[in-house]
Amino acid sequence: MVAHSRVARAARAAGRVGRFNAPLAARVEARVDGTPREVNHQPVAVLREEWRVVDRWWTEEPVVRRYFELVLETGENTVVFHDGSGGGWFTQRGA
Amino acid sequence: MCSCRTYVPLIACLSIPGLELKAALRRTPSLALRPAALAPEPQGEPLIGPVTAAAEALGVRPGMRLGEALATCPQLVLVEPDPAGVELGWEEVVRALEDAGFAVEPTAPGVAYFETRGVERLYGGLEPALRRALGAVGSEWDARIGAAGRRFAALAAASVARPGQTVVVREDDLPQFLAPLPLTLLPLERQRYEELEALGVRKLGQLAGLPGGAVAERLGPDGRRAWGLARGGAAARVRGRRPPAEVAESLDFPEAIANELTLRRALGALVETVLARPERRDRFARKVALAARLVGGGSWRRTLTLREPTADADRIRVALASRLADLPAPVLELRIELVELTEPSGQQLELLAAGAEDRTRLREGLRQVRASTGSGSVCTVVEVAPWSRIPESRALLVPRDE
Repeated sequence: MVAHSRVARAARAAGRVGRFNAPLAARVEARVDGTPREVNHQPVAVLREEWRVVDRWWTEEPVVRRYFELVLETGENTVVFHDGSGGGWFTQRGA
Repeated sequence: MCSCRTYVPLIACLSIPGLELKAALRRTPSLALRPAALAPEPQGEPLIGPVTAAAEALGVRPGMRLGEALATCPQLVLVEPDPAGVELGWEEVVRALEDAGFAVEPTAPGVAYFETRGVERLYGGLEPALRRALGAVGSEWDARIGAAGRRFAALAAASVARPGQTVVVREDDLPQFLAPLPLTLLPLERQRYEELEALGVRKLGQLAGLPGGAVAERLGPDGRRAWGLARGGAAARVRGRRPPAEVAESLDFPEAIANELTLRRALGALVETVLARPERRDRFARKVALAARLVGGGSWRRTLTLREPTADADRIRVALASRLADLPAPVLELRIELVELTEPSGQQLELLAAGAEDRTRLREGLRQVRASTGSGSVCTVVEVAPWSRIPESRALLVPRDE
């Protein structure tokens, strides 16, 4: 059981359950090769891992994501991805 | 046929022909004016169900083979059956009658019997009471009411009434009223109708005119019963039902779910949530229902009477989980209903259940979180597809207010 006020309240307001670990929009500055240089104004110290997820290509909402596991200069571990189908950068827990 | 009151206590029958189609069309009301028919059941014979007036005008008849119906009317729209919608709609109708003061005995979706004796003085007579019943149901369903001294005669009267009309049959007029009506009103198998038609018997009056012994010899017990009904049937009293409980919980999925394991997990969360509802407190579930809204607009519903009334989440979950295998399509919404609950009465429980203290502390902690952050702030994480490569598809947040 978790206390997850924002997502849960939004879910209840919509009268439905919410998604756990839903992506949150992030401000990411990328290098030319597409790897992140800054996440939410925090410089990236280490790029630990990179992988791609391509799924649901048979539906009208395909998932094409390029994930990066990073360590920021503040010491925080984070995972961000670039959405290849809709565009934009997101952070995500549980990835 | 007349509207005079007899001394015999009357039984009223409310009938809604084609309820299944009307309930399914509530989702797409624009189809009501177009040629449309209820699609055949997924695993049943390819026979169409009730049809709209526009389809009937183009030659489509209920019970036609699907191929024949489409050949007759190529623009025919097939409406997906919605059994859960039918139950819900029918429940609304029965409750509306009960709210108007009638004790109602529903026998099938679309057919319910009730007596007016208790409320005639309240509404100023039989006819005003019947009009009140029709008014309570509303015009949406095209309901009609027949009233007579016997059940079958009341049903027959309802079958000849127009939408929104009441037909009252006096006991003296009963034989003349029933005589010209078709045999299809009788609860007989198709083969029996054909047998009777081959013998030249097409109307209730013709069947009623035959000797009862001869009918029984030729058609067996069903035939004998039909013969009795053709003569008006027995004057059995109406037994009003006990209104069902209204404790239900549902889960809307962000996307259609077909995986049985995922559905089992969702069911587990639903069972826990519904048992935690304050209305259920101190009572045990005797009958439960599991319903689903399916992708493509259809619905599905199964009811289950438990061998022993219980409030044990595991037992209810295990009993319902096997039904999930019957789901014909991916699910958009799963719903559980406690249809019948026992009275709050004694069932010997443990004085102090194991872990009760921990649970009490946890509940108290959550109560405080809720009090400070508001409703919807405490959720249970329900794992639904842990194998998914998309992190947000692996688990759902189910709001928990108890």
